[in-house]
Amino acid sequence: MSNKLLGIVGFFKDPYHLLRAAKEARARQFKFCDAYTPFPIHGLDTILGQKRSVVPWVTLVMGLAGCFGGFGLEIFTSAISWPINVGGKPFNSFPAFVPIGFECTILLGGLATLAALLMFCRLPNFKSSILNESITDNTFALYVSAKEESFREDDVKNLMEKCGAIETRMVG
Amino acid sequence: MGHGQRHYRSVKEIPPVPKYALSLPMRLFYLGLVLVGLVTFLGALKIDPNRAWHSYLLNYFYWMSLGVSGVFFVALQYITTSVWSTPIRRVADSFLGFLPVAFVLMLVLFLGVSHLYEWTHPAEVLHDSILKGKSSYLNMPFFVIRNIVFYAIWFGAAILLLKNSLAQDKNGDPRFTLKNRKIAAPFIVLFALSFTMASFDFLMSLEPHWFSTIFGVYTFAGLFYSSMAMMILFVIALRRNGVLAHVVNENHLHDLGKLMFAFCVFWAYIAFSQYMLIWYGNLPEETGFMIRRTEGAWVPISLALLFGKFVIPFFLLISRPAKRNENYLIFIAVWVLAMQWLDCYWIVYPVLNDKPVFGWQEMGMFAGFLGLFVLSVTWVMQRIPLVPMKDPRLLEGVNHHQ
Repeated sequence: MSNKLLGIVGFFKDPYHLLRAAKEARARQFKFCDAYTPFPIHGLDTILGQKRSVVPWVTLVMGLAGCFGGFGLEIFTSAISWPINVGGKPFNSFPAFVPIGFECTILLGGLATLAALLMFCRLPNFKSSILNESITDNTFALYVSAKEESFREDDVKNLMEKCGAIETRMVG
Repeated sequence: MGHGQRHYRSVKEIPPVPKYALSLPMRLFYLGLVLVGLVTFLGALKIDPNRAWHSYLLNYFYWMSLGVSGVFFVALQYITTSVWSTPIRRVADSFLGFLPVAFVLMLVLFLGVSHLYEWTHPAEVLHDSILKGKSSYLNMPFFVIRNIVFYAIWFGAAILLLKNSLAQDKNGDPRFTLKNRKIAAPFIVLFALSFTMASFDFLMSLEPHWFSTIFGVYTFAGLFYSSMAMMILFVIALRRNGVLAHVVNENHLHDLGKLMFAFCVFWAYIAFSQYMLIWYGNLPEETGFMIRRTEGAWVPISLALLFGKFVIPFFLLISRPAKRNENYLIFIAVWVLAMQWLDCYWIVYPVLNDKPVFGWQEMGMFAGFLGLFVLSVTWVMQRIPLVPMKDPRLLEGVNHHQ
């Protein structure tokens, strides 16, 4: 790896300091900063200017696809392609199809949600190095990328320390 | 957080909650509605007593469900140790104001049972082995006694829960919260049993040969679904006239909307469970109810229920912004309340007529019950502080965010 600075990460002991730092970073119009926290922190995504996730739309579209696909399959197989008389019920027995149509909706919607989540989070990821193991435990981290237009090393370092970072580290 | 929502660091920072008062013109308006209802009922009794009593029963069950839903909601909040609902809990508490009114309305309903229920005619029961077999449950004295007991349970629990909460307003003792949790647990069990039986008594016994074990869950799904709609309307109204302006934010509305959305799906799930098992089993003693409603002139009503109570609200409520916008929520809440009426209509009216009928009898009496409900609920609201300021969960509840 080259010695080029990729960004600066600050570690915080509690979410309040992290939120303060995130607000400061937002005030500088940083676009590529990201936070790493052991649990979800309410309001952090709006402060960091994160857009709403696309995952719910994937769920909706694929759920509807599963619904129509499931019903389509049932109607096609039991009423059009190979009609079989089951217990004197009509070939196109819609009420009996509902549970399977429902399950297909859930199955496709659920699997697509998982797939979309992994895709948008770029997971699994074996390349990135771990910043600090304790960010899955009791440490909160804010990462500011050197790609930012107004990125100045000492400014970002100052920001982190002013907001109560217990440690700042250069990533590169 | 964000969106200009204020974050309070202590309860002292919360601006004082103004007292609620229903303005005189509004009071007169609702009194006028009650009068309209009364005149309609008396007029309808003269012209067609059967239809008058069916309309009365429909409205009684609709508004009784809403009245008792308040106690259930409060008990549910205590048993789940909910924080988010603390600033809006008194709205649900106030619904208890309708229970004494509903009790009197039920006593009036007892006068009309011979127009409604086949099993109240001894001559018919004698020639009907099924009704004879059911007569140990479906007989007038037991019917009256158990329904009076149900009111004692509902109203008793409602008063106890509210009294403890009001006592807490004085000294902020957290033991009242724990006490209420202990009341809430047995109440929820008793509520499930009593509301199921009340549904069996007032609605299912309209067709005493038919039975459905899921019927109580079906009416409960409608109860909670419409209850959330009514809560949303009251909370938004109180927020707009300033009473809850500083303690309720979009996140509370969002959660009420989520519950309404959840029960939209739950209702569809239960309604379909009831329908599919009857359709699949195809047993003559069970199918009559569904045949009356899914063939002939009642098909449009059944379809309107399927789309109006499930499909349309499902897609209207599915998105996040939909559940956070006041005007949009008001529209959906009114829609849901209308559909709950249609659901009760779908249960009651096919017994009266093989074709759907709708006219002044139905509209006028709905207006009358609406007037009674609003007047009795606001009567309570004017007499209690609408936010439990010393509830240990209040601060976190007011700062509710996501």
